[in-house]
Amino acid sequence: MKLAVIKQRRLWWIISSLVIMVGLVAMAISWQQFGAPLKPGLDFAGGTRLQLTRSCALTGACSGDVDLTQVRQVLADQGLGSSSLQILDPKLQILSIRTRPLSVDERTQLQGALDAEIGPFDTSSVQIDSVGPVIGRQLLSSGLIALLVSFAGIVIYLSLRFKLDYAIFAIIALFHDVLVTSGVFSLLGLMAGVEVDSLFIVALLTIVGFSVNDTVVIYDRVRENIKLSPQTHINNIVDEAVNQTLTRSINTSLTTTLPLLAIVAFGGQTLKYFALALIIGFVAGAYSSIFIASSLLALWRERSGQMYGDIEANLSTMANQEIESTH
Amino acid sequence: MAKYQAWLGLILALTVAAVVVITQVPTRLGLDLRGGSQLTLQVKPTATIASVGDREMEAVQSVVEGRVNGLGVSEALVQQLGNNQLLIQLPGVSDPEQAERVLGGTAQLEFRAQRQGTESQLAVEQQVLQGHLDDLAAAQNSLPEGAAIPVDAQARLNQIKTAVAASEASISALFEPSQLTGDKLTDALARPGNGTQWVVDIKFNAQGAEDFANLTRSVAGTGRGLGIFLDNRLLSAPRVDVKYAETGIAGGSAEISGNFTAESARDLEVQLRGGALPLPVEVVENRTVGPTLGRDSIQRSVYAGIGGLVLVLIFMALYYRLPGIVADIALMIYALLTWAAFNLLGVTLTLPGIAGFILSIGMAVDANVLIFERTREELRAGKTLYRSVESGFYRAFSSILDGNVTTVIACAALFWLGAGLVKGFALTLGLGVVISMFTALTCTRALLFFVLGLPQFRRPSLFCPGLANLPPRSATP
Repeated sequence: MKLAVIKQRRLWWIISSLVIMVGLVAMAISWQQFGAPLKPGLDFAGGTRLQLTRSCALTGACSGDVDLTQVRQVLADQGLGSSSLQILDPKLQILSIRTRPLSVDERTQLQGALDAEIGPFDTSSVQIDSVGPVIGRQLLSSGLIALLVSFAGIVIYLSLRFKLDYAIFAIIALFHDVLVTSGVFSLLGLMAGVEVDSLFIVALLTIVGFSVNDTVVIYDRVRENIKLSPQTHINNIVDEAVNQTLTRSINTSLTTTLPLLAIVAFGGQTLKYFALALIIGFVAGAYSSIFIASSLLALWRERSGQMYGDIEANLSTMANQEIESTH
Repeated sequence: MAKYQAWLGLILALTVAAVVVITQVPTRLGLDLRGGSQLTLQVKPTATIASVGDREMEAVQSVVEGRVNGLGVSEALVQQLGNNQLLIQLPGVSDPEQAERVLGGTAQLEFRAQRQGTESQLAVEQQVLQGHLDDLAAAQNSLPEGAAIPVDAQARLNQIKTAVAASEASISALFEPSQLTGDKLTDALARPGNGTQWVVDIKFNAQGAEDFANLTRSVAGTGRGLGIFLDNRLLSAPRVDVKYAETGIAGGSAEISGNFTAESARDLEVQLRGGALPLPVEVVENRTVGPTLGRDSIQRSVYAGIGGLVLVLIFMALYYRLPGIVADIALMIYALLTWAAFNLLGVTLTLPGIAGFILSIGMAVDANVLIFERTREELRAGKTLYRSVESGFYRAFSSILDGNVTTVIACAALFWLGAGLVKGFALTLGLGVVISMFTALTCTRALLFFVLGLPQFRRPSLFCPGLANLPPRSATP
């Protein structure tokens, strides 16, 4: 099998554009609904989340599921009627409540009321996350700054190791991956109420790191091929490089995705969506490295009249070949 | 060949060392895995103190540390975060509500006169308190470090904590209530006094000076102490000399002396300044995980980690054959080395940290995949087995280096700029990537060349299925 990356580049670009467009539309709708492109989770929006597990050691405590209407009644009594509720597995005995940021006293009161009506709850498996609005903004801005700094660091490193145009297209491919992942999560937020928290930003950064790795492997090969055969047109060079590295791209994506699938299968609630974001991002990253970063580089070199390797590279290649041909 | 034997020896030694480290040095678990509370406190500026600087933060931190100690939580940690926040970790705290209540709020510093006829009682009560505090320290030291606290040990801790609180309350009852509170104290400063002894100077404002004169007059020369209380806990109970019986200590400044070392004087200074600051402290973030929930998370992550690793190992062996199996061995060595590095460096493993570790396995595999794909290409191009493997390593190196460096850049950005859990993830992934470069380039390499030294394995078909099964040529070109 040989992929014709350059010949069908329009097709690859259209696929990417479509996916990104859908994501952008979802983000626009999200903006209308939540005031943010993705549904902000507790970390960014601030609030209190209480996760309580019924103490099943006591007889009769776990007979029947947690009654949502009863929980809503308790919340309404506490003036927290607008809170969101979730019943979690196993056996539907875990109650997760998200409210506005509560003070200690309000929280203790709510916990007491819930314990009396729906409990008793197991005190050793309680989970409390309470984030004030200040911290939320802080987490968001520090995350975004980290993202920008790593972009800048990658551009600098790649322009030192390669050339500036390689670095720029690698970053475009990264934006592609970040946009695709964010778009999918925006859509998930609208349809399934999936929220993003600081782990999502971590996921984006990891995607950036891994996806640039994919792109670098292909670019590395492009650079090598240009040196080896400076007389070959850049389109063919890129096609060749993509195909030479294709098995590696697929296998690496597979081996990184396998552990993530294990996290999706066994990991707890928090890590599930984190792993899902990474899977989406890695797939997008492999795609963008193979189809987008490569074809854009070829297009740019063609348009800017650098279809062939330069004389300098040619000379160094000859030197190289001498070293290589000792067997 | 001798070169690879040296490498093999080194790798073997490292692996053994790693196993020893893993069994001897305990893994530090984050609060999300062992259970506990992590609180972020925000120090709020007030009308009188518009900006919170380092001096103020230091003082507030000492107040908060005093409160944390009062909670009797072992391995509690208080650190400054940014310019005006404090991060507090309370492993295994059993009552997060109480902790949050105690830690928030403004410091209460009071200067109070000792009640008449309680002179002997104070000494006794102080001894009792010291006994309880010693018990507490002993109980905390006997706890397993970095792990969840056993139920009976927790019960014992709670019991001692109650005794400490009761003892502190009875000491507090020995002193009169007072009007002289921290807001009237303007400064405190530790300085060397006569000889090796240190003293602490204190200064009051006009109203404070008057109150202080009255207070000192009432206890001067009686043998009763002037109790200095921070958050209802006695910091110091200096006596006032009889020469002040007429006027009290006037002028609004005084010197506290005693058996102060430089350190203890400085402690008192910082505590007094903290008590003098009317800075409210607010809990802006609370992350509490119950111990049972933490244990659940560990179990799930371990399953996920092992499950993921096994899937990858199987894939590598099936797809890459002999080198795949060699890479699998290198991967297991990688996992051991990384785990040992975490323990040695005192990395606190959190849930995202474990995810970072699992991901770094993927990264470690990638280096091997690059090398083996390259080896196959060279084999298909008709090179000898030995040279193919050699140039597989040589040519894949620049891809591996570039890929790893860019990932490390992303990790560094996360580590320096991220907060809390994010940092843990960046650290484990970054460390993992660095170690994985080492294992891919040395372990896999040495093992593979060692295997190539054995004639029965020197068959290209073991490296690249589908290649015409040529008789092995000489290993060296």
